[in-house]
Amino acid sequence: MRRILLRRFAQIIPLILGVIVLNFALIQMSPGSFLDVMTAEQQVSDPAMIERMRVLYGMDKPVVVQLLKYIWSVMTLDFGYSYRQNETVLAVIGQALPATVILMLASIAIALLIGVLAGVIAAVKVNTIWDNLISVGAVFFFAAPTFWLGIMLMIVFSVRLGWLPVGGMRDIGVDHGVFGDALDVMRHLALPALSLGLFYAAMYTRVMRASMLEVFRHDFVRTARAKGLSGAQVVLRHVFRNALLPVVTLLGLQLGTVLGGSVVIETVFSWPGIGSLMLDSVMSRNYPVVLGVLVLSSLIVAVANALVDIAYFRLDPRIRAR
Amino acid sequence: MSMTSTASPAVTAPTETVTPPAAITPVVLSGKRRAPFIDFVLRFARNRAALVGLLLVVILIAVALAAPYYYPRDPLRIVGRPELWPFANPRFPLGTDSLGRDIAAVVAHGARTTLMIGLFASLTATIIGVSVGATAAYFGGWVDEVLMRVTELFQTVPNIIFILTVVAVLGQNITNITIAVGVVSWTAIARMTRAEFLSLRDREFVQACRAMGMGNIRIMLGEILPNALPPVIVLSSLVVASAVLFESSVSFLGLGDPNVASWGGLIGQGRTLIRSSWYICAVPGLAIMLTVLALNLVGDGLNDALNPKLRDR
Repeated sequence: MRRILLRRFAQIIPLILGVIVLNFALIQMSPGSFLDVMTAEQQVSDPAMIERMRVLYGMDKPVVVQLLKYIWSVMTLDFGYSYRQNETVLAVIGQALPATVILMLASIAIALLIGVLAGVIAAVKVNTIWDNLISVGAVFFFAAPTFWLGIMLMIVFSVRLGWLPVGGMRDIGVDHGVFGDALDVMRHLALPALSLGLFYAAMYTRVMRASMLEVFRHDFVRTARAKGLSGAQVVLRHVFRNALLPVVTLLGLQLGTVLGGSVVIETVFSWPGIGSLMLDSVMSRNYPVVLGVLVLSSLIVAVANALVDIAYFRLDPRIRAR
Repeated sequence: MSMTSTASPAVTAPTETVTPPAAITPVVLSGKRRAPFIDFVLRFARNRAALVGLLLVVILIAVALAAPYYYPRDPLRIVGRPELWPFANPRFPLGTDSLGRDIAAVVAHGARTTLMIGLFASLTATIIGVSVGATAAYFGGWVDEVLMRVTELFQTVPNIIFILTVVAVLGQNITNITIAVGVVSWTAIARMTRAEFLSLRDREFVQACRAMGMGNIRIMLGEILPNALPPVIVLSSLVVASAVLFESSVSFLGLGDPNVASWGGLIGQGRTLIRSSWYICAVPGLAIMLTVLALNLVGDGLNDALNPKLRDR
């Protein structure tokens, strides 16, 4: 078991090396050098000074040496310095990360809850009005752009009804106490998490419905019925558990897209996470932060995928036997 | 050329490369054998939702083609009073935006942008995906290992973050956006192509081609690929839908091509006005949703028509 764990995590290393090389290639491909941006940002025009910076950043060296130096610095978690926030890139990203993780977890929870429930209902009541309503709803939410859905929800629930705040993570200048604060964050979280979650809920509904219907056809379900189990017992104990596996697989595969989706949703609701940071950095040409986000978010997805694989390995005896 | 391909089952349908080869064509339920193309159309038409999707796509293409005739001038120019509600002035059936631009004109021209980016991004993804998947499966060994690691790499990088980085570093224009969307979208196609090639590369007709002394490239492109295409075409059509969503997100964030009318861009500019004029966001969003919906439905229909064995799964 331990060897498999180690091997699975060792697979992350070449992956991250690949991301770093990709990053480096992007920098090399950019029109105008990195140095131009930095000198422009710091308003340096003295040629001697620019030459000194070239040497300082190793840009006088051949590309291969630059690449190796770049890999080394990223390996030591040195993503450079962000003049905009006056902190290291790592610290800047670290501060934004918790908000994004909260948003991602809430969205996944909503997606699983709604998707699995709707999928089960549609499958149990297959070819009824309920099934049709749920399936049509899923098709629509699967096609709606999340940022647009977010704005529409905001118009209804924040602007018209005034039930929920339009953006941010906390009310400004109000001290709610610890519990009040948690409640406050949840109120702010509701709409962004719902906008992002509904897209995945639609996908899980379709997968769950299909996979329930598939499992219903298996012999062991007929056996369970023949044993005299009630319909609910068959559905819950036998069908549901087996039908859930594809949804879990999908969830593991999609962590990257959920992270990407939260980037877009964060900017809609001014949620102070990686997405808002990313957009701000893109707009201000703050390349060290942009590239740092790319590497670190890939690392997060790689680690999360490894964890899902390992969880899978433990959960499903059929995989363990392979 | 045509004589050398006698070993291929594709010879049973020389004009229709899309059709599944005889080896994997299931027996048609009625027992009668129909022409493959008619069979394809009938299977597609059995899926009502797919027909609705196809109708929507046809309308979309018509709008995109008609846009330069109905709105010959730059859709981004200011033509009227700002924030005019839909139907308030018959000249602007969908109203005007925050600057006084005709929303109908932006939506019509946006259809062109959306379709172009969707198609070319999907084409890019298909070319990369098929090349990678086919090479990996055909040559196997370390080639396969390396190419699959690269595929994994592109699956790991969060796609929107990668697109934003590319656009930020290389510049905000339609070409960069299209290529970036294509570059994040090819991994599923590569895996599918690889799986198909793996199952086909040791079949008798391929061995026959080898025995006849055909080159690798010719066997891959001329013999295996046509037989591997059906599931790939389905995926490519779904990539068009996701590419439309990616493009709209990028434009919404204000990183689209500033010189081109775009649905996402219109939503992005209209979102500051949701208190007074929410229709500016609602209208182009509906257009995006219907487009993606239509493309997804057509993809489902293609899946039914091209992969009959998978249909009941």
